[in-house]
Parts: sequence; structure tokens; C-alpha cells
Amino acid sequence: GTNRNSLKTSSELIAYKSVNDLPPPREMMIQVDQKNEAVLVPIYGVMVPFHVSMVKTVSSQQDTNRNCYVRIIFNVPGTPFNPHDANTIKNQGAIFLKELSFRSKDPRHISEVVQQIKALRKSVVARESERAERAT
Amino acid sequence: MSDGHLFNNISLVGRGGTNPGQLRVYSGGVLWKKQGGGKSVEVDKSDVLGLAWTKVPRGNQLGVRTKDGLLYKFTGFRDQDIASLITVFQTTYGIQPVEKQLSVSGKNWGEVDLDGNTLTFLVASKQAFEVSLADVAQTQLQGKNDVMLEFHVDDTTGANEKDSLMEISFHIPNSNTQFVGDENRP
Repeated sequence: GTNRNSLKTSSELIAYKSVNDLPPPREMMIQVDQKNEAVLVPIYGVMVPFHVSMVKTVSSQQDTNRNCYVRIIFNVPGTPFNPHDANTIKNQGAIFLKELSFRSKDPRHISEVVQQIKALRKSVVARESERAERAT
Repeated sequence: MSDGHLFNNISLVGRGGTNPGQLRVYSGGVLWKKQGGGKSVEVDKSDVLGLAWTKVPRGNQLGVRTKDGLLYKFTGFRDQDIASLITVFQTTYGIQPVEKQLSVSGKNWGEVDLDGNTLTFLVASKQAFEVSLADVAQTQLQGKNDVMLEFHVDDTTGANEKDSLMEISFHIPNSNTQFVGDENRP
């Protein structure tokens, strides 16, 4: 755990504090920032970060034309076993981003990204549930 | 057209990523030319509705909103360019560019703001991302609370982008009052 997160509860995990903390933009492709536990996705020329704890599932698919598709589904209220119910109650009236889907020209990069997101999500969720347990 | 300010290494931002080029801001309007020719974008001064700049990682972005509801975005401005941009727009256009802050907290809940052809997703009143509704092929209502936006598949523009956005869906809980009765056209 870094100092950044130590004072926060799981519902307050944030990816970055300032624009300057984001990794320098490389190619316009999905990136995983292990250090800040963030997934960065290209939307209209900007790398948009999402904290990995917001991610519910990630999956990829390949079509016959060697196009690869990746689908990221985020936690939203109203789904069973949602770990973010505290947020839901706090953010009545908010609109949730539920899903982002991308097409990629690089299947290897996509399978790598999917694995990285899954692994990172797993470790963050495990750490946070352990912390929640210790707190009770 | 000798007057005005020339900014090099300015990219036009679109659905398929960015196109490098050069931007000239002069008394008659804003003109962007793609590096090596080809595409250009020109906005007459009288068509400029609003201007906004946003600090993005390692640079700044300028948004030019037109009276037709279009939004052109240019990126690649250095921090020191912003001061001169603001001065030029103030003195020759009489328009004060506003600063739009970028949300980097990584949260997935916030507000959806619609302005002209632009849909902005705001987290804690800061801009998380913007998309152009002109690129949306269709919208679909999924269930009672989900809205999906499907983007055009365009193989010609995605030149420098490896991963292209295809779909976005938003979940609008019943507790939201902003889009009551109009959920399928957010």
C-alpha cells in the first residue's frame, strides 16, 4: 500500500490527483498503469483514466477479419454483489458509465491488456476486502 | 493572412485519434492545416460560439465551438502557448476562453452534459471525456435504465489509433431526474 491510499476507504479510491500525474501519452491505445491502479483508454484523442476498482469485468473477442474487440464493464448500482453500494447511496442522481467497447488492430496487445486488468483488479479487490475486514 | 499567431505541432482531435498539423489563429478566424497537406479545418471568426481550453497530460487542448453546434478540438499547445492564445482571442475576437478542467480521479459516475453535438461526461463537475454525437451511428435503450451509443465504424480516420472506441453505455438510475421521459435520447 502506498501512502496515498492508506487514509482512504475502498469507496474513495482514486486514480490520479492531478493531470500531471498521468503517464506521458504514448500511442493512442489502452494502457494499464500498475502503480496508480488505473486503466487508461483513448477517447477522442485523450487518455481517460479509470480506477481499476470501478471495473466489473473485462473481456475480449476476435472476429473473422482478425479484428479484436475489448469490452470493459464498470460497476453500476442495482447489480447483485456490487461492492460499491456505499457510492450508490452517496451519489443519488448520478449517471454511471457502464460499458466501453473498443476495436483493436492488435490482438496480442488486447489479450495482454485484458490479463493485466484482470490481475490488477483481483489484487486491488483482495487488498481492499482485507482492509475492510481488518477495520471491522 | 500575414497577421495572427501560428502554432506548430498542433493536432486535430477526432474520433479516430489525432492528426498532426499547424494552427493559425488570425483576425478572420481559425485555420488548421494537416501536415503535408490534405485536410484542413477553417472556422470563421463570426462562426465561433465559444472557446475552451483544457490541460491534458503533457500539454493543452483547445476547443472551438461553432454556431452550427460543432466542436473542433486541437491539441499540442504548450503551457506558454495558452497565455498568448487567450490574449489573441480576447483582443481580436472579444471572446474569453474558459478553462475546462479534466477529471483524472478515475471514477465512473457523474453527470452527462449535452451541448450542441457534444456529449460530455463530467465527474465531480470536471470533464472526464467528450464525444461527438455526429459520430454516433445509433442509440439503443437497453432495459429500463441503460442507454447505449454505438459509434460509426470508420476505417479511414483511425490512422494513428490502435484501439478505437466502438460503444459507450450509460446507466441512468431511477433516482436520476435529469432525463426523465427522454431516456433514449440522452
